Amino acid sequence: MSDSEDENFSGNESDKAVSDDGDASDKNSGGGGSPRGSDQESDKGNESDKNEDSDAESQGRAVDDEAEESDGKEDEKDGDSEEPEGEDLGDEDDYDDEEDEEEEHRARKKKKKGALGFIIQEADVDDDDEEDDVEWEEGAEEIIDRKSTYDTSEREIESHQRLRHMWEIQREDEIEEYYRTKFGDASTADRYGEGEEMQDEITQQGRLPGVKDPNLWVVKCRMGEEMATVIHLMRKMITYQLTEEPLQIMSVVCKEGLKGYIYIEAFKQTHVKQAIEGIGNLRMGYYKQQMVPIREMTDVLKVVKETATLKPKSWVRLKRGVFKEDLAQVDVVYPSQNEVWLKLIPRIDYTRPRGVMRNNTSYQEQKKRRRRPPQKLFDVEGIRAIGGEIASDGDFLVFEGNRYDSKGFLFKGFAMSAIIAEGIKPTLAELEKFEDQPEGIQVELVPEKQASDIAHTYAPGDRVMVAEGELQHLPGKVIKVDGNKITILPRHEVLKDPLEFPYYELRKFFKMGDHVKVIGGRYEGDTGLIVRVEDNVIVLFSDITMHELKVLPKDVQLCADMATGVDSLGQYQFGDLVMLDPQTVGVIVRLEKENFQVLSMHNKVVGVKPQSITRKKDTRNAVSLDSENNNVQVRDIVNVIEGPHSGRSGEIKHLYRNFAFLNSRLMTENGGYFVCRTRHLTLAGGGKQTSVKAMGGFAPMSPRISSPAHPSGGGESPSRGQGGAGRGGGGGGGMSRRDREIIGQTVRIIQGSFKGYIGIVKDATESTARVELHSSCKTISVDRSRLSTRTGPKPSGGQTSTYGGRTPSYGGQTPMYGGSRTPLYGSQTPLHDGSRTPHYGGMTPSHESGGRTPSGGASAWDPSNTPSRNNDFDYYNSPSPADFGANTPNPATPGYHGDSPHGPFTPQTPGSAYSPYPAPSPGGFDVASPGYVGTPNPGMSSPSPASFSGSPSPMGYSPMTPGAPFTPQTPGAAMETNLTDWHTTDIVVRVRPSYENDQLIHQEGVIKSISGGMCTVYLTNEEKMINITCDHLEPVPPEKGDRAKVIAGDNREATGAIISTDGDDHVLKLDNMEQEPIVMLPVQFLCKMAD
Amino acid sequence: MFYHVSLEHEILLHPRYFGPNLLNIVKQKLFTEVEGTCTGKYGFVIAVTSIDNIGAGLIQPSRGFVVYPIKYTAIVFRPFKGEVLDAVVIQVNKVGLFTEIGPLNCFISRHSIPADMEFDPSSNPPCYKTKDEDIVIQEEDEIRLKIVGTRVDAKDIFAIGTLMDDYLGLSS
Repeated sequence: MSDSEDENFSGNESDKAVSDDGDASDKNSGGGGSPRGSDQESDKGNESDKNEDSDAESQGRAVDDEAEESDGKEDEKDGDSEEPEGEDLGDEDDYDDEEDEEEEHRARKKKKKGALGFIIQEADVDDDDEEDDVEWEEGAEEIIDRKSTYDTSEREIESHQRLRHMWEIQREDEIEEYYRTKFGDASTADRYGEGEEMQDEITQQGRLPGVKDPNLWVVKCRMGEEMATVIHLMRKMITYQLTEEPLQIMSVVCKEGLKGYIYIEAFKQTHVKQAIEGIGNLRMGYYKQQMVPIREMTDVLKVVKETATLKPKSWVRLKRGVFKEDLAQVDVVYPSQNEVWLKLIPRIDYTRPRGVMRNNTSYQEQKKRRRRPPQKLFDVEGIRAIGGEIASDGDFLVFEGNRYDSKGFLFKGFAMSAIIAEGIKPTLAELEKFEDQPEGIQVELVPEKQASDIAHTYAPGDRVMVAEGELQHLPGKVIKVDGNKITILPRHEVLKDPLEFPYYELRKFFKMGDHVKVIGGRYEGDTGLIVRVEDNVIVLFSDITMHELKVLPKDVQLCADMATGVDSLGQYQFGDLVMLDPQTVGVIVRLEKENFQVLSMHNKVVGVKPQSITRKKDTRNAVSLDSENNNVQVRDIVNVIEGPHSGRSGEIKHLYRNFAFLNSRLMTENGGYFVCRTRHLTLAGGGKQTSVKAMGGFAPMSPRISSPAHPSGGGESPSRGQGGAGRGGGGGGGMSRRDREIIGQTVRIIQGSFKGYIGIVKDATESTARVELHSSCKTISVDRSRLSTRTGPKPSGGQTSTYGGRTPSYGGQTPMYGGSRTPLYGSQTPLHDGSRTPHYGGMTPSHESGGRTPSGGASAWDPSNTPSRNNDFDYYNSPSPADFGANTPNPATPGYHGDSPHGPFTPQTPGSAYSPYPAPSPGGFDVASPGYVGTPNPGMSSPSPASFSGSPSPMGYSPMTPGAPFTPQTPGAAMETNLTDWHTTDIVVRVRPSYENDQLIHQEGVIKSISGGMCTVYLTNEEKMINITCDHLEPVPPEKGDRAKVIAGDNREATGAIISTDGDDHVLKLDNMEQEPIVMLPVQFLCKMAD
Repeated sequence: MFYHVSLEHEILLHPRYFGPNLLNIVKQKLFTEVEGTCTGKYGFVIAVTSIDNIGAGLIQPSRGFVVYPIKYTAIVFRPFKGEVLDAVVIQVNKVGLFTEIGPLNCFISRHSIPADMEFDPSSNPPCYKTKDEDIVIQEEDEIRLKIVGTRVDAKDIFAIGTLMDDYLGLSS
């Protein structure tokens, strides 16, 4: 008996086992094939009587059959009581019955029972349940599996059945025996044939396989055929049982999870070989069978606690039945009852009439229509339509014993064995079906990566807390992570040893103020300080964005290094300026996983993908103007004075056109970034105030313009002022004070990528210089600190050359400098040695002819290099109109450049005429119209020498003064110099001799309108309107008593009457001037007005 | 917390300063370079109290600059978790309060402000106040807070504070 008990026990443990009666086969082999059971019968004696009933009912076991033999009557009864159940179970084994049809009743019965016992469909979890109970449960489970599920636990059901059965057969002694077996300690001890008070654990230990027990052999089997093979082997066993050479293996096991292998229990390998010989599925395992070490044998059949992974909300699939392969969501798990409630989409056959209407269809039709109904949410109307009856139970609807919720999902209990819980990957379509409900959001979050081995994010060093089980709320620190097992060191007075937990029993534990990093989810990569810890959400205060972020504890990790959290995604970083589309730029204000938040220049925050952003914009060198026309650039601190952010201050991070992206620590939104128009800003504290001032509204966008070399700088630039003063003073040492003036000097670049290059400074501000390189045809901007003057302190001769280098520029400027320049020339004259003079001379004609060929001798380039010269001219020319008239910032006065033959240079010299204006104030530069004076005073040549008379070397100038410039200088030519801007309406003009129509020369007319370079003039004498280019006109100077209009200077466009004249000065009474009604203006500033 | 600690610093001096005033310039430079800075370890350097030693200057090869190792003692301010400090409210918004504790910026989340105080965006300036307007915290108010966390960067320290404790809040 003890042997057979052992057998039973091993059967209990097995997952699926085909076990022959080990005892019997053992004896058979010994006894030379004597009919089984006969000797056992005598062995067992009266014991069989007691046990038979319970044994008979425990269908899951290999049973001792001898009891049936002993008592025929009982046998019958037994059979009766068992028959239905047997049928119920016997689906797969029916063929056994068929095969052995002709055998006698007893044999058949025995076989059938054997078969029943052979296949142990379910194995219970290896727990410490009472022995008897487990046996019962196995059987009961079979039944329950096939029947529908009950609300009550299986255990209850099973005990009910058992009791009922016992009461039915009405045998007190049996009942008594049953209870004694079940609960009586003594009987238990008897059964195991061991001492009393046997500890459960020890008995278990005693049952562990030892050296005397048969071994387990692993045999390779064809994949997927494991179970069939086991059955095949069983049949073989049965067939050979009564032959000369029965199989000598003990049992065959296949494990559910183990593909491609089966286990065979036998004493010797030869026995195994004998058993598997000739079985196709095992052909590959024929030559090699591996023995399982004794110690590992228990592990082979150890049932892993499957329920552990089954959590509510996780996804499972059904193994069989109408719902086979259907996705279901776990609702509740009852591990103890081996049951799980699932939520799934019902498959109800709406074509099959129910209830009253059922009668209409024949049984045949029903049979035919047994296709699998499609998945469809429970449809109350549909059910009613086919005559079904729906009851309600609380929130649920009940139909045919199944419960449906209001959404139409079926809630149904299943046995654990009926579901597949591992490696479920719901398809999107399936999820969608589950998702049309408010829980949808949750649903989406839930699918855990069950497929991947590690479904957690714990790392050593994490602070955790035990979330469930006996040690709940125990804090600790992770010290080791091994797959899904996590070893923690508890923080507890008593518990000092490391403990191991499955990951799901732990949760991360944070305190307020911890600095953490987000390692998953939307905000992955962000870091911050925890400001609040709730049950399942943590509020972070992000370091970078100054946002509050809500994250799940599982997505957060302590950030030991306290990094600020770099944030970059691909090539983009937080705070980068990016192009959203060709017209729009924005600043990245937040990086999320695979997503940016970009603050666009229109002050909108948009979420974009990295792919949709074109590129980073580099704005390091961008310059813009603030409301006070200060140059502002990146990294300036500015105050916002207008607009939505008025009152803030911040640092300019990026500039784009007239938008500035500012950053302020005090801003909480968008990481402190906000966008303003530059016009709404003022530079704070004037930290980097440049020397550029507003010049009559002309906004210099380029630092070049503020260059001291540039005439328009007027008196603003210190060097200019100095120079002007020096020259104006006529002191011979004027030049010596221009030590900051490096324009024209040859310099060497001593740092940077152009290190070592030599070039000529064409232009300079205090901080940068434009250097025209000798070696390559390039003009570059270089920091002044990176230049070294190649020639060192120069003798005056050297400076002269500098001056020479500047000459072209002066040429261009001449019109503006006008009279005030003259003294300068005068004073400088001494510097010009003989060698210079031809230089000037050489230039003059060139200017006159309008060609640019003769460049300053000091140009790095061949004088014939017109383009470069051209540039210089362009450059210097362009601003001049600005000087001329505050209202005309547009340098492109038509014709100015083109048709001015650059007479300027020439007439300028005679501009000595201006000597009457003793004060060469820079302001005077603006209004220079040198030629003008020439008109009324053709004898200007005389003042010119006068002016030069003081110069020590008239010779130097002689080629110039009488030379080409002067001779051709008709008054008309002089007029050309200020063609640009004096024209205005309502003034009286005279047609110059240059006009092609001789008839009209010297005719007077009134300008009616001006457009571009064309004036519409009403000729008084001819009484007709003509269109004439501006340069063919000259103003008619007013006489005393005339009305006059100011055509140049500060009061341009003002009108008034000439009160008196004083030489070239006219006293004008202005019409609309409150402050200074009477002004004195040179005649060339005035023009007669039409009556 | 304030400490009086000995620290070291190296001054790099341009040769143009070589002259009779050299040591004064070195000291000046130390003050400008050190005071007001922040290190993760010692916190904010508030003031140099004494210069203990100016080492021998070492001319840098091929540059001409001189490096002076200087030992000095300074008062430093190092905030700690759990420390209670007085702060000035700089900004009030719906997320919480931004405060300054001298050189230290400290943020108090709305979650760390007692629940009975509510943000009132409509008042001017915006403030946190109790229902009965008994306590009103607005810009430029002085409050007492407790630091619950610090973020120490290389060049800065940032703290978050709380008002959820006894005797914290508006200090009057």
